[in-house]
Amino acid sequence: MSDAPTPPHHVDWEPQSEFASRAPAELPPAADDRERAPWRHVLKLGAAAFAVWFLLYAPTLQHNAQVSPVGTRRTVSLDVTGPVAAVSRALQLSHIVSITGRGSGLGGPSGGLTVSGPRPGGQPVGGSLPKSGSNPKQGGTKPTTPTTVPPDPKEPTAANPLRVLIVGDSIGIDLGDALQPDLAQTGVVTAALDGRVSTGLTRPDYFNWPAQLAADLKSQNPQVVVIMIGANDAQDFLGPPDTPYTSPQWNTLYAQRVAQFMQIAQSGGATVVWVGMPPMQNPGLNAQMSDVDAVVQQQAVKTHPPVTYLSTARSLGTAQGGYTAFVTNGAGQVVNVRTPDGTHLTPGGGQVAAQQVIAELQTLGYKIP
Amino acid sequence: MLFPTTDFAIFFAIAFTVNWLLNPYAGWWKLSMLGLSYVFYGWVGWSYCLLLLLTTSVTYVGGAWVNASSTERGRRIAMGVSVGALLAILGWFKYYGFVSVNLDNLTHALDLGRAVPLLQVGLPIAISFFTFMAISYVVDIYRRELQPARPLDLAVYISFFPHLLAGPIVRGGELLPQIRRRRDPNSIDYSRAFWLILAGLFKKVVISSYVASAIVTPVFTSPTQHSAPEAIFAAWGYAVQIYCDFSGYTDIAIGLAMLLGFRFPQNFDAPYTARNLQDFWRRWHMTLSRWLRDYLYIPLGGSANGQAQTVRNIMITMVLGGLWHGAAWTFVVWGALQGVGQSFGHVRRKSRERRGLPGVAEGPVRDWVQRFLTFQYVCLGWVFFNATGMSQAFAVIGRLFSGWGEASPLITPLLIVTIVGTLASQFVPPLRIDRLQAAFSRQKVAVQVGLLGFALLGITTFGPVGVAPFIYYRF
Repeated sequence: MSDAPTPPHHVDWEPQSEFASRAPAELPPAADDRERAPWRHVLKLGAAAFAVWFLLYAPTLQHNAQVSPVGTRRTVSLDVTGPVAAVSRALQLSHIVSITGRGSGLGGPSGGLTVSGPRPGGQPVGGSLPKSGSNPKQGGTKPTTPTTVPPDPKEPTAANPLRVLIVGDSIGIDLGDALQPDLAQTGVVTAALDGRVSTGLTRPDYFNWPAQLAADLKSQNPQVVVIMIGANDAQDFLGPPDTPYTSPQWNTLYAQRVAQFMQIAQSGGATVVWVGMPPMQNPGLNAQMSDVDAVVQQQAVKTHPPVTYLSTARSLGTAQGGYTAFVTNGAGQVVNVRTPDGTHLTPGGGQVAAQQVIAELQTLGYKIP
Repeated sequence: MLFPTTDFAIFFAIAFTVNWLLNPYAGWWKLSMLGLSYVFYGWVGWSYCLLLLLTTSVTYVGGAWVNASSTERGRRIAMGVSVGALLAILGWFKYYGFVSVNLDNLTHALDLGRAVPLLQVGLPIAISFFTFMAISYVVDIYRRELQPARPLDLAVYISFFPHLLAGPIVRGGELLPQIRRRRDPNSIDYSRAFWLILAGLFKKVVISSYVASAIVTPVFTSPTQHSAPEAIFAAWGYAVQIYCDFSGYTDIAIGLAMLLGFRFPQNFDAPYTARNLQDFWRRWHMTLSRWLRDYLYIPLGGSANGQAQTVRNIMITMVLGGLWHGAAWTFVVWGALQGVGQSFGHVRRKSRERRGLPGVAEGPVRDWVQRFLTFQYVCLGWVFFNATGMSQAFAVIGRLFSGWGEASPLITPLLIVTIVGTLASQFVPPLRIDRLQAAFSRQKVAVQVGLLGFALLGITTFGPVGVAPFIYYRF
């Protein structure tokens, strides 16, 4: 640091500084023709504008509250938005929002489908919301090469790539963000990723994964489906009657949802790989994820043909399956695999899990370079 | 607490009322504002409030120590130790993980065993911003540009919620006098404040979110699967995304402060109209730019000791400025690119001046060519800034050399209009916006209510469900 409060070169550099040649300008001084107002007037104005917005937008807010996690916050939100939404609908004000195409209930969790990898003919393609088949410019995935014998999916080529669909919640996205490009870069795999944050199988009122998976299967016609879902599933099933997470019935109901999801994934004949949740830093969440994983493992064995369950407890945890933020990869390098929240995966963590999935696919006989 | 949330709307309604009701009672006002600011910060995680308290305590003791030192040497030692302590706190939370992993891999490669313990240290939100404010406070006292503040004043200065999470980086000399004096409750510049808040929300919730999901995220997630034009639009799109995100946040912060009777310094001034990198840094994140100038560039020697040292000082300043954004090699490269661009401009300007020419060539065509080239160079830097790693950045850039002749389904008319429209908006003269604000302030109350209500409705309707946190929250 400089000794002098105002360095001798101060005058020299000031007008020709490489950085700001002047102090950031204050906002324009008061000498303008904008009218000012007392704070109480501003408060009333802001409150009235907020009330107008609230009245018009209440049905959407009510819907958002309905699909939020069960708890006090949801209850209070529903109590507040319910009556206002009723007034809004009675006055037909909600139509103002509806005409924009984003009426009540049309919003959904962020995320969506992206496809990467070669299309028949070997040319790479990428983009959002592609549809297969009809328009090759939009990332068609169905092989169009005229052959009498269907190509063996376990021996993919650039002309007949293996079609992989990855679906998941936010941790599934962490995996998919690494797995999708890794697979696509092999040149023989077309990888589609449909990740939706804050979703799972317990709250179809918020996001209907079975319906979405069916739609993804229809559009992508995958030969392999990789699933990593469950981080948000340790919560009550909404009824009526509600089924609390802690109740004995919860496991039965969750097992049914998992089994149904596995069956949908297999319905087109795809090989299904279900990637388990990694160990969590929070002991409570870790215990919940153990419950969820146990149900998934049971259902994976029961399903016909069996679903391949891939545990990440050791690949993303300690040798004993406990939580750790750092693992050593195959090259002997230390990798930070977990974000500071102790829940999600870093890009490095996603990469470790992605390599595990690719190795499993190779074990299953898929010739992926 | 995020600005564009219902939680914050309720919080601010309470804070606004408390602010003006307690305005006549200085002590109570400061206590209440301190409490509200800690609630605002603690919403993210209560344990982080202890960190804020620790930083405030170190800053107070440091400032008092510097001021109490009777000799110049003593002042310098006090300042150095205080700044070192503040940097140590920042370094622990922000850089320990980065340094320890890199050091561990280095020692592993050299077969030297484990050098340091591997610990995952959570990055507290806003730590970079309030640490820089704390450092400026101590250094300003050392430079005798600022008198030490009372503990409560200092605590409010550092934690004041409108600037706490992502700036602007307000100096003690700017904010402390405003904290000490009573504000005029009858003269709120509400039309400008509401404009800033709504414009900020629109930029963040609608524009930034749309561009991110339409082109930036898909291309950066799997760059090798996208065409060259898509890679170019992704870089341009990120330029728009980060501008709308960060300047949107700043607009909201300045507008909120204005409603509370405070004036914050400007942080953005149409940065994509810049004609060179020097000009860009006069317009982009201006409060960080001047902080780097006054607390890093000048102490290094500035431009007073010849061209070679000036270039060295520019490079050091910008690389460290890059590292301030995050502990990653991508930020180092981004900072270095800024340094190289500025150094090039400096050398070129000096060369022209030696030949008796104006520092920067002028002319209508030259202006636009310079703007275009500067924008492209800035976008090149943004690719590294946004990439999760060097390989991703090079993969995006690599598409420019191998991704031609492929379909570009992500480039839609709406995307083009959004990017071009956002860039074009930077050329709108501020006077026109002032006139709009003035016209709004003269409307009847019912009209004002309707305009504000429907503007808010438009923003929430066209924005996505669940707005992502501001990009600069993670710095």
